[in-house]
Amino acid sequence: MGDIRQSLLPRDVLSAAKELLYHLDIYICNMVQSGRQAPQVDTKTLDLVEEFILHVPKDRNAQVRRMSALQELHLLEIMCSCFQEQSRDTVRQLVFSALFSLQGNQADESRMALLGKLVSMAVAVGRIPILECAATWLQRTHRVYCIRLAQVLVDDYCSLVPGSVPTLQNIHSASPRFCCQFITAVTTLYDLSTEELTPPLELLKMIVSWIQEDPRLVLITFLNTPLSNSQPVSSLDVTPLGGLVRWCVKAPLAYRKDKKPVMVNGTGENEQEAGPLFSALHLSVLQVFMLLPNILTEKGLFGRLALLQIESVAALISDLSRLLDQADKHTHTISDESHAASQLALDRLAQALQVAMANRALLCSRGKGSRILNLLQLILSGPVMYYNNIHTPPLSFSPHAAHSPIASHPTLPGHAPHTPMAPHPSPHPQYPAQPFMTGLPFPYRPGH
Amino acid sequence: MSAVFDGSGLKAAQSSLSHTPHTALSAQELSQEIKSFINGVDSVQGRKLSVREHARCAVRLLRAVPACRAAVLEHLRGVYDEHVSAFLHHLETEGEGGSGPSTNLEDIIQEVHGVLSEFIRLNPRAWAPLVSTWAVDLLGQLSSKHAGRRGTPHSSSLNELLQLWMSCAATRSLMEAYSQCLAAMLAWCPDACVDALLDTSVQHSPHFDWVVAHIGSAFPGTIISRVLACGLKDFCSHGAKDQSLMGIDKGPKVPKIGSVVGILGHLAVHHSDCIRKELLQMFQESLTPSSPLSPDLSSSSWETSPQLRRAVVPFLLQLAAMSPDLFGAVSSELVELLRPPILLQLHSLLQCLPREELDNMVGLAVHLISQSPTGGARTLRFIADTATPASVIISGPTSSPHEGVREGCDRLLQMLLLHLHKLVYNRSDGVEGAPHTSVMTQPKRKIPFLEELQSYVGELCAETLRLERKRHLWLHQLLCLLSVYGGPSVATEAVCQLLTQARNPEELALAWQLHSTLSLCMVGLIPAAITRSVAQIHTNTLNPRQLRQLLLNLAAAIQSQEEERRGATGPHYTMAMQLGSAVSEHLHDFGPLLLHGDSTVSHAAVQLLSCSPLPRTSSPGHLLLLSRAAATYFFLALRRRQEGLKVGRDAGQAREAVNCSVLLLSRFAGYSPLTLKSILQQLVEGALHKGNADLFGGQTCDISDVPVPSTSALPDLGASLLSINCQFGTTANFSGSVWSVFHAGVIGKGLKVNSPPKVPDPSAASQNIQTLIAVLVQCCSSCGLNGSYAGSRPSSDPGEFPTINAEAAKVVAVTMVENVCPDVSNSELSWPPEEHARTTVERDIHIRRCFEAHPVLFPMLQVVAAGRPALCYCSALLRGLLATLLAHWEASRDASSTDSPWHLQASSLVVSCMGEGQFIPPVLANVHEAFPHLAPFEVRLLLLAVWEYVRGNGPMPQKFTFSSEKGGIFCRDFSRDGDVARYVAPIHSVLHKNIDRLGHLCWRFQL
Repeated sequence: MGDIRQSLLPRDVLSAAKELLYHLDIYICNMVQSGRQAPQVDTKTLDLVEEFILHVPKDRNAQVRRMSALQELHLLEIMCSCFQEQSRDTVRQLVFSALFSLQGNQADESRMALLGKLVSMAVAVGRIPILECAATWLQRTHRVYCIRLAQVLVDDYCSLVPGSVPTLQNIHSASPRFCCQFITAVTTLYDLSTEELTPPLELLKMIVSWIQEDPRLVLITFLNTPLSNSQPVSSLDVTPLGGLVRWCVKAPLAYRKDKKPVMVNGTGENEQEAGPLFSALHLSVLQVFMLLPNILTEKGLFGRLALLQIESVAALISDLSRLLDQADKHTHTISDESHAASQLALDRLAQALQVAMANRALLCSRGKGSRILNLLQLILSGPVMYYNNIHTPPLSFSPHAAHSPIASHPTLPGHAPHTPMAPHPSPHPQYPAQPFMTGLPFPYRPGH
Repeated sequence: MSAVFDGSGLKAAQSSLSHTPHTALSAQELSQEIKSFINGVDSVQGRKLSVREHARCAVRLLRAVPACRAAVLEHLRGVYDEHVSAFLHHLETEGEGGSGPSTNLEDIIQEVHGVLSEFIRLNPRAWAPLVSTWAVDLLGQLSSKHAGRRGTPHSSSLNELLQLWMSCAATRSLMEAYSQCLAAMLAWCPDACVDALLDTSVQHSPHFDWVVAHIGSAFPGTIISRVLACGLKDFCSHGAKDQSLMGIDKGPKVPKIGSVVGILGHLAVHHSDCIRKELLQMFQESLTPSSPLSPDLSSSSWETSPQLRRAVVPFLLQLAAMSPDLFGAVSSELVELLRPPILLQLHSLLQCLPREELDNMVGLAVHLISQSPTGGARTLRFIADTATPASVIISGPTSSPHEGVREGCDRLLQMLLLHLHKLVYNRSDGVEGAPHTSVMTQPKRKIPFLEELQSYVGELCAETLRLERKRHLWLHQLLCLLSVYGGPSVATEAVCQLLTQARNPEELALAWQLHSTLSLCMVGLIPAAITRSVAQIHTNTLNPRQLRQLLLNLAAAIQSQEEERRGATGPHYTMAMQLGSAVSEHLHDFGPLLLHGDSTVSHAAVQLLSCSPLPRTSSPGHLLLLSRAAATYFFLALRRRQEGLKVGRDAGQAREAVNCSVLLLSRFAGYSPLTLKSILQQLVEGALHKGNADLFGGQTCDISDVPVPSTSALPDLGASLLSINCQFGTTANFSGSVWSVFHAGVIGKGLKVNSPPKVPDPSAASQNIQTLIAVLVQCCSSCGLNGSYAGSRPSSDPGEFPTINAEAAKVVAVTMVENVCPDVSNSELSWPPEEHARTTVERDIHIRRCFEAHPVLFPMLQVVAAGRPALCYCSALLRGLLATLLAHWEASRDASSTDSPWHLQASSLVVSCMGEGQFIPPVLANVHEAFPHLAPFEVRLLLLAVWEYVRGNGPMPQKFTFSSEKGGIFCRDFSRDGDVARYVAPIHSVLHKNIDRLGHLCWRFQL
């Protein structure tokens, strides 16, 4: 494979890339046919790909060959048909990974750019094989890059080209796997922490409609993946459930936060539109939780695999407490509206936790459960800096004991340990550490 | 790129969704479209796509496949280019009757534009940066590519270019798209778009200017401030250190500043106010100390960085150096802005700059000032004001910040002068040698600063003459440079101004200094200056004070020449000489100033005239004019002196004025026979003129025969000359008949009352007479007839009675006769018998009255008598006088002659004059000594004897002979005439009769 370099050099950019693709295809076919175990593409081939398709200069003094946008489009089109025409799934996957799996070198940037365009185009022209490959890529790649890919798609279809949302909507039917991974990536991307990271309304609508239509969609990756420990580090979650729960819980507060600064036109409208969407989403999520016991039992994982990681729940809770705190600070006179929003967020959290725990999506051992409870207490009563202490729980927790701030979390709000929640005399010592029981009215935030 | 929650965008998107027909392309169709687009071939039908179809396909892809947008935009470049080509081709072939453009892509362009603008409208954050970059780049490319075409105007004609491109659909659409992007982007990232604009502008420099101009005029405020901010950043990052002094030839090193200048230059045409405001604001903000606690609302990024703030001043200087327009816009107000607090801030800001950078800046500033076309005077004044030390006392050992500012300005000013000096004297480097002429003749490089200052020469001179410390040195130097630069006209004006404005010798010395510097490189400066001054006098542009100063300065200069002549030859000698001769050329122009209404001016004029040398040649007209003026002034001066004596002020000046005018008259008289004659005439006439008569103790009585119209003084007697004339009809002149009536009074009304004699101050009158006679004598004795002149001769031998020139005396005599008795002809030299006098009673009375009214006549007569034989021409007067005296003495019934004192005095004077004039021999002339002791009839007898003698021996001028041994005077030899003895007989008998009283006089009458 490495020997074709000389023949590629004199050709023009486009035909060289075409030629290389062709050779790559043949090469991998041969490799698969030879039936070796764990077929691996060698470095020389990867180098060729970088040189002739991604156009990364080999050495410093080499002249950079660039494709024009038209040529690039042409190349993308060729790739599309190339993947389309290749019938064997394995070969496709191998070629795709030869082209796009990240190598941790300088070529990664152009690799990502090309991948973004390719996937975007595949979405537009409905190239299912590429989407499938991309779904696999999304499973295997570090979440940062996954997020970038999702970002490209969202930009392309939700903001740049008006009226192209339906095209993206189609991926649900075209490739549910990809769709599921996309949702995961998007929920990871938009964590509602800032205005920028709030999902566009169109995207939200789309996701809601997807899940409403088929709640199992979010579990597809989970269902199709053989359970193994080969999950790469820092890859996306198996399901978007964590992210979706976060969306639902934080949405009332995040959107309200948006409104407060002098937001211009129609934020309120957005909020109004977004509110029901999040409600629907929340319902869908709860429904998905309800589905879980059967599936888990089928897989023999009931009670053994936590689809909702406790760490993410803890992070969510601390975020939430911070948001509530801010809301208190910003609105000196608590309006009914903000009150209602806070309550909605807490309601959703409680419901989600309750349903998840009940369906064993959130696994709480005896100690862990009490820790969650502790966390919840903290939300209601005082400053937050404890989620790190989850694994070494204090026996009798007092906010006054936590004088040493934990510096490891950058988003930790830097307020004093005892920011008084003056109106109510901190009641937590009196609360009995009783197990959380469904259906119990939750006496939170007295005095408000 | 981030998504924005934009409700309106969403709604619009939905609405556009609803009415866009071709959104619902299936994946399959899209794939086909992409194939077609890539290959340019319809993938279904297999035929080649036309440009139009291809473009449509591209637009469809743009709407449907986000991944294609880069490719689509790239493709559209080609479409736009095609359209521009077609458009230009159409333009070029239009004149040749070619048909319309073969491919009319305008609709496609419109379509593309519609799509793009819709996208930008819906999601500006995503699309504006993309489209703006694309549009600007494409515009740059298009305008560069087609710049050389026949249809396109040259890049220098910006307006035509703008017109052309804006009429082309493609470029217009691009421009609109870019404007839209810019409008959208200004809200959140203005720097980025302006950066792109500048980059493109640099890349496609002259051809792209129209874009910038258009954009700039669409968004003046923002573009200007952004452009400045970008330029500043760029300037700062390139480092101001490697700026050369002039900074102009540094093009490639400072890429953006060039286009910044270009852009601002374009905008300056219509938005100079805006630019000026921005620049000044930038300057001010860079100086105001940064206050991080209270960030200004309008502050942009540069204000927060101290490094950028420091770079502002050099940056602005650099900008100004590169663009005269910008500089012109700013300079005028900058000076206003530089108030002391600002200066202090500036000083503190600049203190921390390295030395060589400061030097560069000073150099730049100097260059700018010297090139500034307007406001130079104000700038100069400002710098000089600031650089002048506030007081003599230096402000202590530690220099205050003010002192620092002052030193800075001082240095700046000196550098400026040095720079100007170089510029002025290097202008004619091309020509070797002949520096004197080359400065004048070379085509000169303009120095706008000096150009402008040329009109401020007057002010500069005034400033210089204030003689403030240091300042006048600078200004004087500048004045020199200015004069050299401006050539003779400016130099002349400068000298003129200095001469006019200097008030004391020190100040006047500046004029000499200037002249000595300038005389090296130009000739004829002084005459030109004098000519100019004279012109100013003629046009009446100088006020009396200036005029007086000018005259005095000139006089002082000339007098200094006289002193120099006596002493060593000083450096000013030649100048004073030139000045003298120049003034002498224009004496006739200065002459009329003697009669200037302002006494100080006339005084100054007489000072000048009295000391200035006389011209070598002059036209008679001028001379007459001058002499008339001089004589008139003499009488004025006398009057002034008299009044001064009366009031008791200005006496010294008045006396000096008289002295000067005397000197002037005598010098004039000595100049030529013509002037002598004229002056004498003027003097005599003037002395007898009724306006002046009172000066010399005379009465205001007309010399002519018409009676004094003193109706105001006299009661109206009811007599009217008109009625009498009517009674008598239009008869001839009734000389001696009816007129006589009026002498004594109207018949029937009794004697005419004598007008109450005015009582002029006798001492003043006698002084005046003295002066007048002295002048006459000086004039008469100055030998002007011989043409030789010696200015100080009259006073050289004071003890000796000066010799009266006969001709001059004759002039006096004739003039006297003409004035006293106009109807006497000059030929009546011989004396008739005494009885014959009856026929001329009327005339004689008139003459006597004249003498009575004008006491000055007798002294004049004496002068005439001294100039023998001039008295002959006064025969008529003497005769008339004598006749009336005879009549008086005959009629007198008084006991002693002393009872009629005037007659006695007149008789004595007449006789003595006749004696002096050698009408009669000394024996006869001595009779007047006896008059006071005699009775009237005896006096008559004696006078009769005199008459008889004169009748018998007619006083003809030809009887006088010139005798050189007697000192060059004329004498009459009485021995040739008849025997005197028979005329002496009556004398003797009178003597005998009164021997008791006249014994002591007997020896006087010995033959």
